[in-house]
Amino acid sequence: MQQLVANGVLAAAIYVMVATGFALIYATSRFLHFAHAVVFTAGAYFALFLATRIGLPLAFSVLLALVLSAVLGCLAELVVYRPLRRRGSSPLVLLLSALGIYIVLQNGISMLFGDDLKIIPGLDSGPSFTIGLARVTPVQIVTIATGALCVVATAIVLKTTRVGKMMRAVASDSELAEISGVRAGSVILASFAVGSVLAGLAGVLVALDTAMTPDMGLNVFLMAAAAMILGGVESIPGIALGALLVGLTQHFGVWLLGSQWQDAIAFTILLIALAVRPQGLLGKRAVRATA
Amino acid sequence: MAYLLHVLILVALYSILAISLNLISGYAGLVSLCQAAFYGVGAYTTALLALNLHTPFLLNLLASVILAGTAGLVVALPSLRIRDDYFVMATFAFQVVVYHLLNNLISFTGGPMGLHAIPAPRLFWITLSGHLGFLILTVVLGALIFWVARRIVSSPFGRILFAIREDEVLALARGKNVNQAKVLVFMIGAAMAAVAGSLYASYITYIDPTSFTVLESILIISIVIIGGAGNLWGSVLGALILIVVPELLRFVGMPGAIAGNLRQGFYGLLLILFVIWRPQGLLGDYSFQKVKAGK
Repeated sequence: MQQLVANGVLAAAIYVMVATGFALIYATSRFLHFAHAVVFTAGAYFALFLATRIGLPLAFSVLLALVLSAVLGCLAELVVYRPLRRRGSSPLVLLLSALGIYIVLQNGISMLFGDDLKIIPGLDSGPSFTIGLARVTPVQIVTIATGALCVVATAIVLKTTRVGKMMRAVASDSELAEISGVRAGSVILASFAVGSVLAGLAGVLVALDTAMTPDMGLNVFLMAAAAMILGGVESIPGIALGALLVGLTQHFGVWLLGSQWQDAIAFTILLIALAVRPQGLLGKRAVRATA
Repeated sequence: MAYLLHVLILVALYSILAISLNLISGYAGLVSLCQAAFYGVGAYTTALLALNLHTPFLLNLLASVILAGTAGLVVALPSLRIRDDYFVMATFAFQVVVYHLLNNLISFTGGPMGLHAIPAPRLFWITLSGHLGFLILTVVLGALIFWVARRIVSSPFGRILFAIREDEVLALARGKNVNQAKVLVFMIGAAMAAVAGSLYASYITYIDPTSFTVLESILIISIVIIGGAGNLWGSVLGALILIVVPELLRFVGMPGAIAGNLRQGFYGLLLILFVIWRPQGLLGDYSFQKVKAGK
């Protein structure tokens, strides 16, 4: 039982990192940046590439991988999304282009690295701790701590700093923010950079804990999206709550029905949530893309 | 020759799939990422009936259509409350759930092993087994679906679909039953996709869940967009291009291991390029933009 909670919380930590980044991008740019899934995957493969093919020390590889993830996210914004937005394309068009980016990059990774499981060597997983009756590895503890830290840090940045205020301004009304002297384009770019770092970080942590495959991003991304929608896009605590709910349900579902059903359970919850409460648990209003 | 017929059969199958999604996404403007789920429901229904009850093809086809239509109803219901990108998420979630059902109900669907030795379709006294016979059957059913789709979009019901796409609130204000039209177009589109699934299962004789993933759904919507949303001939043209061009790549000597990735990369790249430079597609008249008065 306690192991189930530990696994659920671990999954939630990953989801919350991906979901917070995704929500940040969604809040400022108002479309579902589907390619976020592949930024998560790319983070892991960047670290693998730097650590094994270039031979950099692990810590440095991870840091550089985060920078590269940010660059990837920003490139998607600058090369595809921004030109589309300039032309007044609807959020649906942006979503469709994001699907294209996702497919191209995922297949690119497949071609470069192959479809088999890859692990980042050089990290001794160390002794696993026992908390109560649950066994966790050091990487898993770091993952959970990082997840919690990301939630708190993002919430503080959004509330107190200048960049955070500008992000919230663009999120609530980009035209009005623009009139008040906020450069919406730069703010959106910043949210892509921060969001992509969070996704890349989550990808690296998953890769260090278990392994990576080119298609690993899709499921995590969908769970994160479920967490975001369940929690309500505009509320960071809501997203954390959503992530916990998705992670725990997934693992308790596994306990009840068997591991093959974990994704089906999570998505059934998402479907029900969308049908019953599209504004999320803590959200104030449903986000309508074409308001 | 058999290879050429095979490619033509695939083009016809994907034309049916693209037409079915075009009604939903191109004409009514409801972008959906679960067409492959309906396709799968059709394929599995036909396969299971043919394998277990040995029922004739036309009956299996009918059962597939009815079952997928009902599944369409399930997906359409959330669309009454949420719209645009949230609705896309809902269809995505449905797609994933269906995939996992096919993959995990092992005693029923065979799970990842799939279903083998699906019998060839029997029409009255003829058993279709060759490529040519199958091509004829697919084209005939495809033409029938094209004709039905054409009748639908030129009917008063079709005009309600346009109205939903262009300005849903206005359509509501004019007293159109928007909710009913949305549900209905979803059920019709799902039923048409099931026809393709039914044909596919009988043609390939072996199905497994990997043919009905979200990537397949993205391929179908790519065909609709590249061919042209809101144009039925566009869907046929889109299917022709997206099936034939990757087959041509095979002849310039692509290494087999990456051919699959290259094909998908090609779909993705084409989708991005079209969305940027020609969002209305080759023949379409709709670019997923709401027309705003005075802008």
